[in-house]
Amino acid sequence: MIYVVIGIILVLVFWVISTYNFFVSSKTRIKASIQEIGNQLKRQTDLIPNLESSAKGYLKHEKGVFELLTSARKQIAGAIESGDVNKMAKASSAISDLLPKLTIAVEDNPELKADTVINKLIDELRDTSDKVMYSRRLLIDLTADYNVKRVSVPSSFVASVFKFDELKGLETAETGDHVTVSSDEMKSPKVNL
Amino acid sequence: MKNIYEVRLANKIKSTIIVVLFFLFVLISVYFISQALGIYLGYKPGGFGFLGLALIVSGISTFISYYFSDKIVLGISGARLATNKEDKLFMSVAENLCIGAGLPKPKLYIIEDSAPNAFATGRDHKHSVICITTGLSDKLTRTELEGVIAHELTHVKNLDIRLMSIVSVMVGLIALLGDWFFRISWHGRSRDNDDKNQLGAVILILGIIFAILSPIIAKLIQLAISRRREFMADAGSVEITRQPDGLISALKKISSDTEALEAANKATAHLYIVSPFKSNTLGQERTVNKLANLFNTHPPIAERIATLQKMS
Repeated sequence: MIYVVIGIILVLVFWVISTYNFFVSSKTRIKASIQEIGNQLKRQTDLIPNLESSAKGYLKHEKGVFELLTSARKQIAGAIESGDVNKMAKASSAISDLLPKLTIAVEDNPELKADTVINKLIDELRDTSDKVMYSRRLLIDLTADYNVKRVSVPSSFVASVFKFDELKGLETAETGDHVTVSSDEMKSPKVNL
Repeated sequence: MKNIYEVRLANKIKSTIIVVLFFLFVLISVYFISQALGIYLGYKPGGFGFLGLALIVSGISTFISYYFSDKIVLGISGARLATNKEDKLFMSVAENLCIGAGLPKPKLYIIEDSAPNAFATGRDHKHSVICITTGLSDKLTRTELEGVIAHELTHVKNLDIRLMSIVSVMVGLIALLGDWFFRISWHGRSRDNDDKNQLGAVILILGIIFAILSPIIAKLIQLAISRRREFMADAGSVEITRQPDGLISALKKISSDTEALEAANKATAHLYIVSPFKSNTLGQERTVNKLANLFNTHPPIAERIATLQKMS
């Protein structure tokens, strides 16, 4: 009988320890993933001037695109300096917003379309915006895992005893354009190739 | 539905069972073969010498096949390391997806073959390998490639790779050896030298034993691998990329490609994202009966696509 009781207690202790370790390690991983976003943004700011100078000749007539590229870089650099997660999140979409505009400019101009430098520029921009997107996703997934475990039974007992607070992860405003869907957006997109 | 920790635990347990079985199999076979040879050469039967020899051989072979399973698989498949110059797309896609999946970057390998296919191998997150054919990177778009590589990364994440590669090396190689012995004994029959006849008889017996073992082994591979694994990796791929369309059209492209992958064989076929033997392609699927389906290591492509379409 006594052994059964000791056995149950041991199992419980083991479970508490492993749950506690889950919370601690995912907190660390979340911190690391925020740093990863900064890291990827830093890579972006280093990359853009390079791309700018190599594509300058080709994009002479597309001043608008060029200015966007420059302002995106400044925004990202500012965000990294501030070290604020939400500023970083905002800046990180700068490049992905720019991509469609660049693609349109290239589509309108057959000469640019055939050019390897421009295609490489687009590839690089897509690659770097993907990297930032995936680093944001990791943060989102990790915080979701952590927060779900924090509130679901039975791990919530451990969370409340050891006071693991809810983590915000990427902050997005809960009201505004992006949470409503207009009827236009409900239609499936048409693509002409 | 099991969660990822349960999947990992199940994979670890199964891997351990296979390692132990392999150790015992080699131990027993080496013991009996050396005993038989000993008697043939006029030594006394029994004794600890034979057991010691068997222990050493099985210990070394188990160690090698556990720690070098990825290298053996890559060697059998004739893969080379991916380079930044030639395989830029593959490398950047894999790097990006690793950031999203929160995994260390695996080693990336290429098989020079125009048949599109891919597999993952290795023993844990830090020692993982993803290998694709040049056909895959040439024929697929970036989005499709992302779907395929995310599928392989899920195999890494779930530790499927450990189980799948030791199954290839430990169980699969026995099946391959069987084929090999059988072929030798077949060719060896024409010679009528006395000495060679005796050796030929031994090889013939070994061949028959392996020929009997081979289908049992094939069945074992299926039991260990379980086709649900592929569905789970498909789901994991969608979890990483958030878009099933890429993987759907990639699966369609890979399965409708008529070229067979020469680098694949019985031991490694179950590793690939789509069966390299082209038995379950989209076109043939309707005519192939259910019985044939039972013996496939891969679930039918149409079923996988249907499951993926439900997610979008």
